Amino acid sequence: MSERKTIDARGSFCPGPLMELIAALKLIEVGQEIEIWSTDQGTAKDVPEWAAKVGHETVESGEKDDHWYVVVKKTK
Amino acid sequence: MATQPLYIMLSSADRDKFQLASMIASVAAVSERSVHVFVSMGALKVFDKNASGNERYGDSGLNVELCDQNAPDPIDMFGQGKMLGDMTMWACSMVLDVLGWNESNLVDDLFDGQMGLTKFLSDAEEGQLISI
Repeated sequence: MSERKTIDARGSFCPGPLMELIAALKLIEVGQEIEIWSTDQGTAKDVPEWAAKVGHETVESGEKDDHWYVVVKKTK
Repeated sequence: MATQPLYIMLSSADRDKFQLASMIASVAAVSERSVHVFVSMGALKVFDKNASGNERYGDSGLNVELCDQNAPDPIDMFGQGKMLGDMTMWACSMVLDVLGWNESNLVDDLFDGQMGLTKFLSDAEEGQLISI
């Protein structure tokens, strides 16, 4: 299982969670994963869309308790 | 097909439009799209480096609500777009002349320089241009 880091972006407005994710992806190695938490519902669709466009992998996404989450694996 | 560069002409000083322009610019820039922002007319005054916080936007549009909800500051988002993506920002040379300003009057570390409208429009022929 890949090493996974979690970013708690709950309370941050669009496109804040995406920006936090992108900044964090720059700091990890290829193959590692980041799980982003957001209370912005758009994040659940925006992050997978962004990952697909730029070539990263969405491992899973969904809703849990008070937030949406998306797990992205850095692939390049 | 390669993604076309995005050219944004920002002339409004309204917080709403600033917010939208900064969201479009920053998200496009981090989505592997080249973004070029030309700031003209009243929009340029918003980048006065001596203006403070949210006061720079006045009472326009949703400014009060956006401030109350602690929405991200557009100027910070333009900065994120530059830091994390492929984005340039240009100050309209005509408006700088009208204001008696130069680039040193603008918020630090955002602008790549000043540019005339003719050059920007010429560059924009190769991409998609939106005006806000």
